[in-house]
Amino acid sequence: MTIISRALHALALPVLLLAVWEAAGRAGLVPPGILPAPSQVFAAWNRWAFGTPAFGLNPYIGTWGETVLFSMDRVFRGFACAVLVGVPLGVLIGWSRFVARSIDPLIQGLRPIPITAWLPFAIAVFGIRDAGAIFLIGLGAFFPIVVNSAAGARDCPKNLVRAALMMGATQRQLLLRVVVPNAAPNIFVGMRLGMGIAWTAVIVAEIVAVKSGLGYVLWDAYYVGRMDVVIADMISIGVFGFLSDQVLVAIGHRVLAWKFAPR
Amino acid sequence: MSGAATPGVVVSGVRKQFGSVTALDGIDLTIAEGEFACLLGPSGCGKSTLLNILAGFEATTAGEARVRGEAVERPGPDRAVVFQEAALFPWASVIDNVTFGPRMAGRPRREAEDEARRLLDLVGLAGFEKHLPDQLSGGMKQRVGIARALILKPKLFLMDEPFGALDAQTRMQMQELLLGVWEASRGTVLFITHDIDEAIFLADTVHVMTARPGRLRSRTVIDLPRPRDLDVLTAPAFAAYKHDLLAQIREEAGRAQSQIAAAEKAHVG
Repeated sequence: MTIISRALHALALPVLLLAVWEAAGRAGLVPPGILPAPSQVFAAWNRWAFGTPAFGLNPYIGTWGETVLFSMDRVFRGFACAVLVGVPLGVLIGWSRFVARSIDPLIQGLRPIPITAWLPFAIAVFGIRDAGAIFLIGLGAFFPIVVNSAAGARDCPKNLVRAALMMGATQRQLLLRVVVPNAAPNIFVGMRLGMGIAWTAVIVAEIVAVKSGLGYVLWDAYYVGRMDVVIADMISIGVFGFLSDQVLVAIGHRVLAWKFAPR
Repeated sequence: MSGAATPGVVVSGVRKQFGSVTALDGIDLTIAEGEFACLLGPSGCGKSTLLNILAGFEATTAGEARVRGEAVERPGPDRAVVFQEAALFPWASVIDNVTFGPRMAGRPRREAEDEARRLLDLVGLAGFEKHLPDQLSGGMKQRVGIARALILKPKLFLMDEPFGALDAQTRMQMQELLLGVWEASRGTVLFITHDIDEAIFLADTVHVMTARPGRLRSRTVIDLPRPRDLDVLTAPAFAAYKHDLLAQIREEAGRAQSQIAAAEKAHVG
């Protein structure tokens, strides 16, 4: 009962806005070329997703699935690189003062450069190819992951370290059996933040550096005046960004079950 | 109990300096093999510092500590520590916490778990193997902490006010439990407390520490028959020990107070 009433509460404002938007469109208050009504956006998405390509060269018929897959594939590959490099590096930075002093200044120095500022660099180095997009996505996701992993590893309670040492743990066991599990909640926070940035990065990269994916279609559709496709594209980005976060949350709840156990 | 060839613990001339603060100054302490020693003193007198030195968590500024003749250099499973706040791994189940030591030493998990179950039964936690630390009360966490120390079969048990954070009722239960476990195995124990009743109830010897800088002020042999139960608390001999120790602690607490007052005065002036 409370779940239903809460869901109704949450949906009230979006539904109201959709209704106003639809009504405004039908009344001719906004030009459909600039802001198509929700029903038109849905129709465009329907054709984009399920239409059968005919003779024409219209790229917005039946190509939605592959477009989504292009973007998801890039997000996944870039994000995986960021995790594979960022988590071990962050844990080592938090664990070892020597590593922190060697690497942390460089990371803190590069971090303020927005990933959008890396675009020309990425294209110059990698060309108009996938590698450039994956570099940008990986770089963007890397920073929150490395910073949060380092913070988690650094904040290991002194008494847990002492307990492990008095039970005979070696330095390696201390790192893997105490410092890493202790840092796991922070690592997951970093991964969620990184995933958000990965979706930002994939759109930017696809607008500029490659010729496929949701970002490419977004800009391409805008150029040919297909605002219905633009809006359907925006909604798709939001939905898949949300879903990828939910996947991470689900994994986090499994790995960090001890954090969420009833007490 | 005493009179073994090599004493369980020998601390000689230990000094510990933290910057300009002298925490310990010239500590000499001998604990016989199989002796239950309590270290009693006002807060801030350096009791925990001495325990940390014996555990190998902190180095001495001067002097040395030996456990069964071996100089203490680093932490190790021959000196098990029971911490005040239990310090269990929150991500690991009760049984995984207890078997941590043996698993780190490469012992088979099955074997370690069988032993852990026996020890959990001994401390009254049978059936809680799969629980997480955060699902346990303070007293139950300390029971896990004790089982985790017992499984290491250490030469020395170091207990740092393990019942200090518990309510009075639970504390008494835990003291009885600890005595029961100890009287069955008779390991060497150094138990830190500021609770006089606790010290007399548990110990063979009570060592009173002075206010900072910490020195050992007195050693009292508690000659109460074992096995002890809570009835001991009302025995006349118990009252006599308490009277004597209370007077000493009052004096040291007063000295600590006037030190603080003097420091404040110096700060203002």
